[in-house]
Amino acid sequence: MKTHLRITREMLVNVRIDLARPHAFAHERVGFITCKFGSIDPSGVVILAQSYYPVADEDYIRDPRYGALIGSDAFRKAFQVAYNNNIGLFHIHMHPHQGVPRPSRIDLLETARFVPDFFNVRPALLHGALVLSRDSLSGRVWTSAHMPPKPITHITIVGAPIETLGYRR
Amino acid sequence: MTNRSERQSFLGEDSDTILSALRVAIVGLGGGGSQVVQQLAHIGIGHFLIMDHDRIEESNLNRLVGGTAADVRRSEWKATIATRVIRRVNPRSKIIVERTRWQENAELLRSCDIIFGCIDSFSGRAELETVARRYLIPYIDIGMDVHEQGTRFSISGQVALSMPGYACLKCMNIIRPELLAEEARKYGASGGKPQVVWPNGVLASLAVGVMMQLVTPWHDAHKPVYLLEYDGNVPEVRPASSTGFLTGIDCPHFSRPGDLGDPWYGRSQ
Repeated sequence: MKTHLRITREMLVNVRIDLARPHAFAHERVGFITCKFGSIDPSGVVILAQSYYPVADEDYIRDPRYGALIGSDAFRKAFQVAYNNNIGLFHIHMHPHQGVPRPSRIDLLETARFVPDFFNVRPALLHGALVLSRDSLSGRVWTSAHMPPKPITHITIVGAPIETLGYRR
Repeated sequence: MTNRSERQSFLGEDSDTILSALRVAIVGLGGGGSQVVQQLAHIGIGHFLIMDHDRIEESNLNRLVGGTAADVRRSEWKATIATRVIRRVNPRSKIIVERTRWQENAELLRSCDIIFGCIDSFSGRAELETVARRYLIPYIDIGMDVHEQGTRFSISGQVALSMPGYACLKCMNIIRPELLAEEARKYGASGGKPQVVWPNGVLASLAVGVMMQLVTPWHDAHKPVYLLEYDGNVPEVRPASSTGFLTGIDCPHFSRPGDLGDPWYGRSQ
């Protein structure tokens, strides 16, 4: 399945600024992007980034094993947004380097644990995880709670300039 | 960088890759659209979606680039003529051709990176912009008009960039309720508006320039131009006097969260 993420440059700039803010004890910040969708031929989907929800300072848990660990309140608030608005949830965080980011081993383990839970709230939509670097991004999308994620095949940053990551063949 | 794009290498080392990966929709393949198509083919756009449900008529020959007398005799589809223009310049381009009204297959627009609107009607332009906004696609609109002023005429037009999050055609005063009402009142009236080739050429070139600034900016100081106005009598092109205001505007017409995506997605599954 082709998956095409579109996100405005303005939103991306604001997300980077927010995720770069220091936290009292967490080494990094995380947040959620809410998304709407549209079908594209023949069997693809366009994922449209709608809003960004930062995780509140008090919803981080102190744990030296993680760059950032968030508690159940953070997820509950995100689930509430998804429940109220018929949207998909994409977890997002940032790696402090340039170039196309890859999820770390811990990213892979943790997202595999919590992203399937998003389907409890919105089972018919897609959910996922995005990783930013200082100048790029990548993502994975889950189509079901019981299937492994797939990389997002095509990303467009809509703004001036328009930037396309992942090329059509 | 290939030999064919050697003279546009200033657009960036990877401009060939960027342009060949881009999918551009051109809706309306008459006087303006046919020139946009031709320029995009020369630039090296790799993926086209071209949409027009009309066939060429003799009265189109004064401005439809690529159209021939033989096409008129065959009553050729405008989309077929545009396909031929692209293929002759860039045989490797991938082209999706739609010969029905664009509204009947509007889903095809969703996978495009940029949409050019080259259609006459205000209602059609408003609908097309709505689709573009709904799927976060930059929309470039071309409009041209010949006004009768007593026994004389004036030629004018504009190119507008409707960018998600920024001013829309309503904010720019291009789509206005009274224009939509007047168009609805005249619905079905015969007779086309006056159109000539050179203003179409000016506006098509400006529109392609607006797109190129977005996809392969060649100067650090580039800022998107939201509205360019053309006075064909002077002749003169200038950014609209409202440009400063438009740059800072938070569009109130497409700002509701529910305005994004397919409203039915996930509801029927």
